[in-house]
Amino acid sequence: MFEIGRLCVKIAGRDAGLKCIVIDKIDDNYVLIDGQTRRRKCNIKHLEPIDKVLKVKKGLAHDEVLKELKKEGIEIKEKVKRKKKTAAKPGEEPEVKKQEPKPKKQEMTELKKEKPAAKPKKADKKAKAKQKKTVVKKAKKKAVKTAKPVKAKETAKKPKK
Amino acid sequence: MPAGKHKSRSLRRVYTKLPGNKVVVHHEKRKPSKAVCAVCGTPLKGVPRERPYKMQNMAKTKKRPSRPYGGFLCSKCMRAKLKEKISKQG
Repeated sequence: MFEIGRLCVKIAGRDAGLKCIVIDKIDDNYVLIDGQTRRRKCNIKHLEPIDKVLKVKKGLAHDEVLKELKKEGIEIKEKVKRKKKTAAKPGEEPEVKKQEPKPKKQEMTELKKEKPAAKPKKADKKAKAKQKKTVVKKAKKKAVKTAKPVKAKETAKKPKK
Repeated sequence: MPAGKHKSRSLRRVYTKLPGNKVVVHHEKRKPSKAVCAVCGTPLKGVPRERPYKMQNMAKTKKRPSRPYGGFLCSKCMRAKLKEKISKQG
């Protein structure tokens, strides 16, 4: 039943429901399979045979098995290997770290230099604010000065009436 | 004396051992019923029986067997179903 080249569906385990070919016979109970499943030894009880038998050599390589299955219209998704992010980062980071600390120190010194320079700005602001206040006061004074004479005139006029 | 709410049996009792070698009774909510095969009704293996707040923190791979119909059918019923499918196609 499970001769070499027999198309099967695996019924057990995480590869269940996937199609495969029998490549080799290991034992009365065990065969070697490959295809949509992983290439592995498998118990006959875990396989369900399909009517088709492919003409295949014993112990066929994985790539050729994929070609044979493609001819039958069975497509196989090949696993895309993920790039290890954790492995790549530690190599990159130390280089960056070496570069970064120096500018950081410079920045810190710059900041320290800037800080005292920043204080006068506040002082400037205060001064400006003071100036503004003084301007406002002056304007008020002017207004008062201008207003007073008017009042005076009015007061002066009133008694005439 | 235990508090009034702890006298009722609606909460299950869990005996925990403290670091000072003292055994204390904790009162916890009862676990949900076992997961069951949708076809034959046998309790499923590999599906943990925990409250949702614990299931939430579990990995997906720890919550059900990683095979088609895992956590829904038992392995026997899954095989039968796959065989049916194959016979219908062929």
